[in-house]
Order: sequence, then C-alpha cells, then structure tokens
Amino acid sequence: MQMSTKRIAVNFGGSYVPGLNAVITGVVLAANELGWEVLGIRDGFDGLLAPERYPEGGLLKLTPQLVENLSAGGSAILGNATRTDPFHVRQVNAENQVEEVDRSGDLIAKVAADKIDAVISVIGPRALSILFRLHRQGLRIVCVPTSVENDIAATQLSFGFNSALSFAVDTIERVRQAAQSARKIGVVEVLGEHAGWLALQAGIAVCADAVLIPEIPYDLEKVAAKLGEKINAGRTYGLVVVAEGAVPRAGARPVVETVETDSLKASLSPGATGPGGSHVIERSGSAAQAVALHLQRLTDQATYPLVLGPLVKGGPPTAVDRQLGLGYGAAAVRALHENQSGVMVAFQPPDLKFVPLAEAINKVRTVPDNSVFIQIARSLGIALGN
Amino acid sequence: MENAPVNTSVLKGIILNIQHFSTHDGPGMRTTVFLKGCTLRCKWCSNPESIQPKPELAYNLNKCIGKDQCGFCLKECPESAIFNVDSDTQVRINWDLCTNCGKCVPVCPPQALYLFGQEMTVNEVLDEVEQDSAFYRESGGGITLSGGECLLQADFAAALLAGAHQRGINTAIETASNVSWDFMVKVLPHVDTVLHDIKLTDPARHRKWTGADNSRIRANLKRAYETFPDKKFIARTPIIPGVNDDEEHIRATLAFIKPYKNVVDYELLPYMRFGESKYGFLGKVYEMQDFEPPSPELLARLRAIIDEAFDRNGNPARE
Repeated sequence: MQMSTKRIAVNFGGSYVPGLNAVITGVVLAANELGWEVLGIRDGFDGLLAPERYPEGGLLKLTPQLVENLSAGGSAILGNATRTDPFHVRQVNAENQVEEVDRSGDLIAKVAADKIDAVISVIGPRALSILFRLHRQGLRIVCVPTSVENDIAATQLSFGFNSALSFAVDTIERVRQAAQSARKIGVVEVLGEHAGWLALQAGIAVCADAVLIPEIPYDLEKVAAKLGEKINAGRTYGLVVVAEGAVPRAGARPVVETVETDSLKASLSPGATGPGGSHVIERSGSAAQAVALHLQRLTDQATYPLVLGPLVKGGPPTAVDRQLGLGYGAAAVRALHENQSGVMVAFQPPDLKFVPLAEAINKVRTVPDNSVFIQIARSLGIALGN
Repeated sequence: MENAPVNTSVLKGIILNIQHFSTHDGPGMRTTVFLKGCTLRCKWCSNPESIQPKPELAYNLNKCIGKDQCGFCLKECPESAIFNVDSDTQVRINWDLCTNCGKCVPVCPPQALYLFGQEMTVNEVLDEVEQDSAFYRESGGGITLSGGECLLQADFAAALLAGAHQRGINTAIETASNVSWDFMVKVLPHVDTVLHDIKLTDPARHRKWTGADNSRIRANLKRAYETFPDKKFIARTPIIPGVNDDEEHIRATLAFIKPYKNVVDYELLPYMRFGESKYGFLGKVYEMQDFEPPSPELLARLRAIIDEAFDRNGNPARE
C-alpha cells in the first residue's frame, strides 16, 4: 500500500546538544524537495498536548525561507522536553488535585486531527523508549539520535557527540596550561555515566596521563605509579580525564571515604550508592573530587579537580555535527518517503541506515575491551587505571 | 446522612504499609495505616512510594544477584522493561516501559524487585490493627490513617474508621486536605483527632512547592472547623529550610487557626532527608538534594511563637 506523506512534524525530545537547528534544516530542505509541508512541535509534544500555553500556537510552520535564517549555533527554536512524557503528564484536575495521566491516546488523536502524517523526533537515549511505545500505539515515527556521550546503541555516532568532544579537548588543553604553570595534577571530569567515549577520545586527543572510564574500574595506585613515572623535574604536572560514572575497582581502596558521611542517613538508606547514604543525589562532580583527593595522597603533587559537566552540551556545532545533523534530518525524511516507521536513523559507516527502535532501546553503547580507542590509548602510554 | 451499608470483608483499599507502635501520629501509642495515592507533589516528600494511587514497582539494585545466577525477571517481563547491559551482571529497569504489572516480583528470589502497595479489605486491616489494642488502652492510642492522602480513598477510610470505633479503637487521620469536600465529610464523622498540614501560606508558593495552590485546603479546613466543632484538630507544618521556615508563615497559620477553639495545637515537623534513597528505587529524581534539615535553634524560635499564641510560655506542652 502506497501511503503518500504530505505533512510531517519535527520535535526535540531530549536534552540540548550543539546544533539542533541543523537537523531541522535537513528535514525542511529534504521535505521541500518532495513537496511536503513541515511543522515544528514546541517543547517535545507539549505544543500538541497544551497548545493554549503558546500565544502563537503550539505548532510552528517551518519553511525553507525560515530555516535559511536559522543560526546553526543558536539554541533550538522549538524548545525541548527532557523530563516530560505523554504517558505521565502531570496536571491539576478540577478538584485541584495533582495527578499524572496517560495522554498518549490524546496525542495520537491530536496528530491525526492536525493532519500530521508522521513525526520526526530528535531524541536522546531515554526518550527512545517513549517513542517506541508511541510507535506501538500507532504513531508513525522516525527518530534521530542525539547524545553527547555517544551512548545510544545501534549507531556509531550520535548527533552532538563530535561538538562536545571538540569542546572538551579545547578546555582540557587549557587545563594543561594551568596545571603546567601551577605544577599540579589537573583532574578533569566529563559526562559519561555508563559510557566512557567522551573521556577516552578526549583523553587521547590531549595525550592525558590517565583516562578513567566506567567500563574499566580503576585502581588509583596504578594511576599514581604511572604519574610518578611521568612527572619529573622537566615535566612537573599531570593530566587525568575521568568520566563521571568511573568507579574504583572492587578491592581497590575506596575513594569516597573522605566525603562527609552521615551515619544516621546511611543506616536509614540501606540501598544507597552514594556517600553518606545518598542514592539519587546528582553525581556530577563527585568522580573528579574523589580521584583528585585520593591521588593527592598517593603522589607528591597537589591536585585540583575541574568538572566540565553540561558545559560541553552548549555552544556551536562542529563541521562534523553540521553535516551529520543535515544528513540525519534528510535521511529521516527519506525513511518516511520509503514508508518506514518506528525506526531510528543510524550512522554505520559508510552508510546512513534505518534500524528498528526495538534494536536501540534497553542498550547502552559502551566502550568494548577490544575497542581501537583502548588500543590507541595503551599504545600512547595513557594509563586506564587497570 | 447514613450511607448504604458497606461490606467490610469485601471493600478494599490500597495499603502501602501498616506501621505498629508509632508515637508521632496522634495521642498515645498508635498503629499507622498508610494509604497509597496523594493529591499533592511536595518536592520534599519523604514517601515517594505513597504518591501514585496504584501498586508500583520498585527495584533495589544492590540486592540483585545478577543475570548469570538468576535472570528470571528478564524472561518474565511482558513489556521488555527489564534489561541487562553487557558490562554489568545486575539487571536494569527501563522505567519508561514498565507498566507496574508486578509479574517480575514473584520470580525475584532476593526480592530486589518488589511492589509498593497491596489491596486489603477493611476487615483485614482492622484485624491487624486490633492486635495492638492492649497498647492503645495503656497509652490512650489507637489507629491513625496516613498516606499519601488517606482521604483520597474516602469510602474505604470511612469504613475503616467506623469499624475501628465499633471495636472501641480511638481514631486519627493525617491529611493535607486537598480533596473534594465530599470526601472530607464522608470520613471526618469517624475521626477523633484530625492532624492536618498547613504547608505554606502564599498560594503561588504553595503551587510551586506542592504542585497545587492552597485554595481548596483553606476552604476545606475552615468548613471542617465549623462543621465539626467537637472534633480535635491539630495543625502541622513540615518545616523546610528556605521554603516555609519563616516567622511570617507561622504567624499567618496561627491567625488562620486561632479563631477556632477546636484547633487545639500547632506542631512543627522538622524536615528530614529520609526519602531520597527511595526515589532511586522508583526510578525517580529527588529534587530536594540541596536542602538541609532545620537547625534546633530555628525550631525553638518558631515554636516559641506558637507557645506564646497558645498561652503556655515557660510551660511548653511538648517535650
């Protein structure tokens, strides 16, 4: 059955990454070539579910003339939705009671009522599952993966990773200068809860002394030994890159012991994973702090921690991400033109392919033991903490 | 005014927990029955498992013995919401796919997966509560319904408290009162002591911190004070630093309650961060991570204002 798509919509369902507008431009230009109309949905699906919130309506008509003037480096014009999903929409009902309701049915009806044939969603790892459920309920959907941690399975490259990597490298080079001048060991923490791509590739690019990633539990005594070899009268500093999810090896001396511990709270939170009995407290910053503190004891050098955190998600996109964004946007339109639905656009060099969402969810793209980047790091003498 | 008789061995409620020997939930030694479901979303909530009005899956990763030894849940889940990443042995939950069906719970030997909330009949609850009746007699205690918002399950709560009275057990409830008046009027006739929150004075700030403004709460409380002059009401404020730990709120609350002789006390409950690990178990994010419990000095200063209003300066009613 040939289904001719005439009117499509695009939205952002994940966190911000550099250059989201490039994807819009790719979608709009490719759709225009086919004679299709493109609408932008504001703030994830809020533009459809709560259009009354927007003075100019929840949908924005996206034309080639409009995207021509979009700044590639500016923030996304559509807004995004990081912590909302149509299956749990919080609202205050007529009795003034707060409740979470499933509005997925409403959403699909709204899409039909607005005569939108399909939606292209630019999303991060979490929203993939939500889009997968919407697809199972009958929404025609194509996803574009964004992640500055490059942790989405089934694609070699998520949109935004290259820009984050470039910024991280740039910043860590500055940290090197500071470390050199102060004769200290700089410990830089970058994003990467489960996957260490950003830390590993940035660490290689700056020739760090050590890179600690979640996939390889670390032993700081080994890192300290490596630093001991490298630091001498002629080179009086060190540089360590650590992913926020990096953890010490079981049996290695724990590094969180120095963080303030509340024994009462700890005893009341038996399943807690964090210091002092905390479980969900934001972990950002604790990896750099723990590593810096412990290294300071194991080496002769003073250390200082620095957390890049979400800083790497802002700013302009690199040339690679501009091309990738345009390519992903155009490929998503091609997928719809080929009557595909429930797929994610994936870069599997040298091809842009379409993979079913089911193959991308419930997975984390981590650094395998035999990764070429691990080999490169070892060849360069970068300590990986094991 | 009597409703149709209810069958107390059939009518069911969703119970989160029955806690024995509570000393802070009303007079004497009490048994507190936590009903699941709430109508506010206070950012400091220490019982996030009590919020949703239905059974809810929780997962304690530290108890999982891993897919190599076990892995039954991976096969059992009909939604593919349980998965495993190659780099670790313990399973993970995809909370966006989980529908809280609970099928994984019985196949989890170490009970890393468990359900918060179970259905119980009125009589089942009463039978358990009655086991402590000797302590109630000694201490002047009884049953306290808490939550969540216990008034959300109004029919069940009313039947439970009426049943308790029939068995000679004193009754109390802890409520935020953000429900329809119909629910209040169903339950309150069966309550001896009403412990009710007054969290914030300003409606906009109330909405910011709890998800809804306080218009209905204030209207309900006024009407309750007036409709039930013989009931004992005790106002309470959970003191959250930076949110409502100011004298202004304490004085405004006193001004609100003092015209009513049946509001016999105003208590301050210091905020504690006991809930945060539970957020992780439910796959939720705790937003209050930067807040610290209030200092004893602050509490003493605020309590002095209350003692003055209740004319008990130099002779505080509480320890």
